[in-house]
Amino acid sequence: MKSVIRSFLRYLVRRRSLSTLHLLGIAVGVAAAVGMTLASRSALRSLEEAVDFLRGGATHTLERPAGPLEEEVLARLATDPAVRSLAPVIDRQVRLEGDEKIRLLGLDPFLDREVRSVTARIGRSESDDARQRLFSAFLFDPRAVLVDEGTARRLGLAAGSTLPTSQGSLKVVYVFPNPTGEPLIVADIGHAQELFGLRGMIDRADLVIAEEAPFRARWDKGFKIESGRQKTETLTALLGAFRLNLQVLSLFALFVGVLLIYNTAMFAVVSRRRDAGILLAIGASRRQIAAAFLVEVLILGTAGGALGGLLGYLLSGLLAKVVGEAVSTLYFFLKPSALPWSFWNLGGGIVLGAAASLVGCLPSLLELGRVEPVRVLQGRTASRGARKTTNRVALWGALCLAVAAALFLLASLHLYVGFAGAFAFLTGASLFTGLAIVWSVPVLKPLFGSVMGLSGRIAVGNIRENLGRTSVAVAAFMIALSLSIGLGAMIDSFRTSVVWWMNSQLRGELYISTKGDVHVPEDFYEELGGIAGIGGIDIFRNVQITFRGKPTSVTSIDASVLQRYDRFVWFEGGGENWEPVKRGSVIVSESFSRRFDVKKGDRITLDGVDGPRELPVTGVFYDYSTEHGVVMMDRSTYLGLYRDRTINSLGIFIDETNPDREALIAEVKRRARARGLPVATRAEFHRRILDIFDGTFAVTRSMRILAVIVAFFGIAGALMTLFLERRKEFGIFRALGFSTGDVARLTVAEGVAMGIVSFAMSVIVGTAFALILIKVINLESFHWTVFYHFTLQPYLVTGLTALAASLAAAAYPVWSVYRKYPVVQIREE
Amino acid sequence: MGESIIRTYDLWKRYEVQGHNGAAIRGVEVDIRRGQIVALFGKSGSGKTTFLNLLAGLDVPSAGRIEIDGRDLAGLGETGRTRLRREKLGFVFQFFNLLPTLTALENVFLALELTGGADAKPAVEALVLVGLQGKEHRYPHELSGGEQQRVAIARALVKGPPIILADEPTGNLDSATGAQILALLVERCRAAGTTLIMVSHALNTCDYADRILRMTDGRIVEVHSCRELTQ
Repeated sequence: MKSVIRSFLRYLVRRRSLSTLHLLGIAVGVAAAVGMTLASRSALRSLEEAVDFLRGGATHTLERPAGPLEEEVLARLATDPAVRSLAPVIDRQVRLEGDEKIRLLGLDPFLDREVRSVTARIGRSESDDARQRLFSAFLFDPRAVLVDEGTARRLGLAAGSTLPTSQGSLKVVYVFPNPTGEPLIVADIGHAQELFGLRGMIDRADLVIAEEAPFRARWDKGFKIESGRQKTETLTALLGAFRLNLQVLSLFALFVGVLLIYNTAMFAVVSRRRDAGILLAIGASRRQIAAAFLVEVLILGTAGGALGGLLGYLLSGLLAKVVGEAVSTLYFFLKPSALPWSFWNLGGGIVLGAAASLVGCLPSLLELGRVEPVRVLQGRTASRGARKTTNRVALWGALCLAVAAALFLLASLHLYVGFAGAFAFLTGASLFTGLAIVWSVPVLKPLFGSVMGLSGRIAVGNIRENLGRTSVAVAAFMIALSLSIGLGAMIDSFRTSVVWWMNSQLRGELYISTKGDVHVPEDFYEELGGIAGIGGIDIFRNVQITFRGKPTSVTSIDASVLQRYDRFVWFEGGGENWEPVKRGSVIVSESFSRRFDVKKGDRITLDGVDGPRELPVTGVFYDYSTEHGVVMMDRSTYLGLYRDRTINSLGIFIDETNPDREALIAEVKRRARARGLPVATRAEFHRRILDIFDGTFAVTRSMRILAVIVAFFGIAGALMTLFLERRKEFGIFRALGFSTGDVARLTVAEGVAMGIVSFAMSVIVGTAFALILIKVINLESFHWTVFYHFTLQPYLVTGLTALAASLAAAAYPVWSVYRKYPVVQIREE
Repeated sequence: MGESIIRTYDLWKRYEVQGHNGAAIRGVEVDIRRGQIVALFGKSGSGKTTFLNLLAGLDVPSAGRIEIDGRDLAGLGETGRTRLRREKLGFVFQFFNLLPTLTALENVFLALELTGGADAKPAVEALVLVGLQGKEHRYPHELSGGEQQRVAIARALVKGPPIILADEPTGNLDSATGAQILALLVERCRAAGTTLIMVSHALNTCDYADRILRMTDGRIVEVHSCRELTQ
């Protein structure tokens, strides 16, 4: 048995260039999955640690359903028999130079000691006098803040440094240790109230509660009470679809990896068939041969998986940063750091690589198990048989496509069903590769013949003749290119839909304070209202709420202004939908409607400061601002429901026919800047949204690149194998007078022809995949309709990638040709 | 000569190619004795290799029966036939069929290992017997055709099987080397009392055989002298 295994394993060493290519293919596929899993996990861990750290010893938080909480509530809380400790908190963000956002907590240094240790640590390592001095500075200097040591190190800050922010310069009095790595600034709560214009208000109260049920009963009306676990669950739920999509995206790269493993295993079987025949003839059992082959594949899979685990860990640092930026932009502030190295990364990679290898090698293993020694010892090849099976394989492909179609019809049951459909579709499409090669040969042969002569014609013929060897490599490459086209076309369509949405819903001349960290004082809104000539001011407020146990959001606007100036696109009806909104009804976004199955004419119940209130829904509109859904209402309704007068931003509308338009715009800008409020023109605001949009797809782009890299190794491996497996054929070429250059050209032509077939298929498969992503995955994940728009760019970029990858993949095999072809002879052994 | 070791009864191997029916073996009945050296001649396509494959249990007859050492091959099943090849049969092929990734010694030891042997000494001795002392650690591609065939013979002999099947053992060698290989193979088989069935085109094979058979269109006839073959 040892000798049988040894005879198979030596191929790995003997054909080390090929083994290396296959190993790298597996490694990159595994790295994509491991890297994305770790990045996703680091985001979650960072989220949990941040929640834990910020929560400290608090068991619950109490806040208003929307907007800040009146300070007077604290006095009532203090007398509640269930409350053991309470600590008021202001939880906001400030913007540093370079546009970086950082969380600022306003804490009461006396009350907070019962809950958190941050303020209690001030000057801990100093003498009593120094500690007293630092504490006094924190307490009495309105600009004094504490900064966590990670941020201090990164920004070069120390006690006494000045930190410029969007809220003015802050003075660092102490640098505190923060084990979570969450960037954090801490100020005295009174100073924080001044800083954010929140006099008499706080964002929440952190509590230590002894008996939850009676406490909830007493504070149920008008307040939102969340336990630490609920808080984490709410935040995790916000990330749910985003994380799942990233995870599946990485699985697509692994899917390409599995195809490559299948490719590798199939090539291995081709060269082991004869050995298997010999072994069977001399008395080895089929089980022994299968076991030896399995050991070989598992070693390759395990080594590739281990390398993939290592690469995935390195990749996770980069991906965690990209994921963190996307999460911070879309959901809530998060700065995940890469997880510390663990041997589990290696173990996970090995398991993934080995499992993928087992799945990938299964068809080849079955083929090896069916080897007929009489046939293989007579020199009959499998490739000839493979050609005959092309139609049968395509039929299986058609079956997979039918299964995919059925799964898409059932996709509303669960998101996983949609993803299963996508995988079935890609599997089905890949099974058509053989047929596509057969069909493309009559077109490619004259084309390559006219450009490259005999070498070109032979190359195209070779691809068809060796269908069994080339079709899987083409399938892997085709899938990678389809992912590239599909994701590219989906992103472009989404981008075009977002532009369409912005042009219909964000039509103000100017937008004041849209960056989220600076609120607009109400008197400024009134001041602008006094300027003659301004057509309307939309007063915008957005808050996150919980509806039917799930996070969603409420937006307040000025319905009259939007009715006049915006061009909302509705599921039903038109501008008349605004009329009932002015009178107290609400409209909901498409995401909200789909998520909660709420339609026009339904009624929804929202928790306000005076308890639950039922509101009629009088319209559903297209929206891409959040996948968690939006309930939109007039500001008057919002104030009645939440009594929250905070203004996030203002949209200024001026009639296009107004002759003083430019002067009015200049005047509003001047006044806003005088108040330190950021101003953006419509074009600037739209551009910023598109920048955010592009930023959130950075991860998707990196996965596209990884899939192409995986497939690149596949094509290189296929070309290399074609050369190695046909040495006898090359011997005949040599005898016939083919020069090394001719054979090198032939190898390049094989690579390019495989690239062309892959690309041609990917144009169809990729477009269909884009439609699947748009019509099924996006709809089920994010509950919004994206409209398909054709753009040339994804096809152009992918086509050039295919050409470059095919040429690059041919480079090493060509080098091998130059090294080995001159000594190739016609011989059997 | 001793008792019967290979017997076939009305052996048929039929095939179907693109709707055409044919038979590679047509009602062959032979009885080969233990220790006999048999030369099987025949033109290309006459069914010689098919006959060897049937005897080795690598192929299954369409009709008829094969008995090896008194046991019906059909009753052995796949596992039994594998065990038979492992323990009772040695194979020598025209194209040597050595595993390219194993050295000469490893190729020979492989046959021993399959029978449960763990000691490489007999493999070394087998290589010495076929004249390959000092070349034990060479890979097949580092050996000449004749040397590779010697390794194949050593591999067939090392486990001491009662039967060796040789399919054109000299077909890929020059005549001088071919003669040496034949002499070596027959000498080792005679020394060990092994039954040898050699399929061949080369007439000189007949000089080494105790018994000569000729296969024509799937049928076997007894030939009584080498001269008869040329007539």
